[in-house]
Amino acid sequence: MAPVTEEALRARLDRGELVEGPEYATSAYVESLQRTLIVSADTELISAPAYLRAAQDAPSINSYISAIGIIQDELGHAHIAYRMLRDLGVDTDALIYERDPAQFKHPFAFDVPLESWTELVVANAFYDRAGFVLLGDIYRHTTYGPWKRALAKVDREENFHLRHGEKWMHTLAAAPATRAELQRAVDWMFLLTVEWFGLPDDLKRHKEQIGYGLKGCTNDELRQQWLSTAVPLCQALGLEVPARYDPSARRWVITCPFPARFDAAQKRWRLEEGATTWDEVVGRWRQRGPANAELVAEIQRGYRQLQQLQA
Amino acid sequence: MAGPPVDPPPAALAPGERCTAEEALAALREVLDPEYPVSIVDLGLIRGVAVQGDTVRVRITFTSMGCPCVDLIQDDITARLRRLPGVRQVDLEVVWEPWSRADITAEGSRRLRRLGVV
Repeated sequence: MAPVTEEALRARLDRGELVEGPEYATSAYVESLQRTLIVSADTELISAPAYLRAAQDAPSINSYISAIGIIQDELGHAHIAYRMLRDLGVDTDALIYERDPAQFKHPFAFDVPLESWTELVVANAFYDRAGFVLLGDIYRHTTYGPWKRALAKVDREENFHLRHGEKWMHTLAAAPATRAELQRAVDWMFLLTVEWFGLPDDLKRHKEQIGYGLKGCTNDELRQQWLSTAVPLCQALGLEVPARYDPSARRWVITCPFPARFDAAQKRWRLEEGATTWDEVVGRWRQRGPANAELVAEIQRGYRQLQQLQA
Repeated sequence: MAGPPVDPPPAALAPGERCTAEEALAALREVLDPEYPVSIVDLGLIRGVAVQGDTVRVRITFTSMGCPCVDLIQDDITARLRRLPGVRQVDLEVVWEPWSRADITAEGSRRLRRLGVV
């Protein structure tokens, strides 16, 4: 089969036809799709050990089962994305089990350990909301057929995760002691989720993601979508967040220095030092955070044990 | 499918002051499964509804003992029924009667098919 030309691919996309496999696309399209899928797959996968660690703090058997159900969903979502990568010719065993932890492409937020039930449910309300916004955009806009169809199930399940987080935030906001702990979690997790959407549009690389219709909205547009529901949730619960709607600009704005330095060990934003540069933030992302190696090791441990047994 | 059994309203209650079991069941049709937009009634989870004074009693089962949405569904039921006139208390009895796909109503099956689930 002759390779697909860029012109033929563009003509297919202009006709509104989906790409059903790598044989219908150019290598540039496939590379961009792989890059996008790896971020999604790694994010879903790493959330499982991150959530499992915090789920040990569940206040009841029912709530533990809820958390385990969410973790099971996340592993299913990761499986879907890695399966599509395998169909695109990627060696997923090497990708998952032999990659250096620092090379994983999940957001920095998951490198900061979740250590309590409170932090887990805020992760459901904030991080899963970010995943819902990002994957919802891909579901609506992606030109890659297999991913579009798979995301129908994923979006439904992410909706449950979100509701779980919101329900528990309501519960924890109701009593002074748990409310204070909830505010502490919100304080460090809010801006990490704002960061989750990546570089601002004017600094963004890989613009072919939108050019090829792998996603529909820009980083800044998706960040606005997240803020438009996360901030009202926090406001309704009386929780303070450094963001508000600016009617004159018709957009949500961050009301503290941003981007900012973050002390991952202390889980504290160093806002007193003022704003930093995105270059410095990208440096922190690349260096990875305190839980990165531990969480990836959790994922890779069984595979390595099996290899040793088979040696 | 006839739906779950509902008791007749107590004779002493004036119409409109307190909800009937039928009205409580209708309200439960607005409580959706947290993942799929299908009501818990159409999923076949509700096994009985009764109104006694200011209390609505609901007998409910779940699709499995490991259902991750048990708490969420119970909270949603309580919140919805408390919005009915005259309801002060909601008593939920989890009966763990076996559930199967046969318990899904025709409407539930139609909705789930549209979502590609059943």
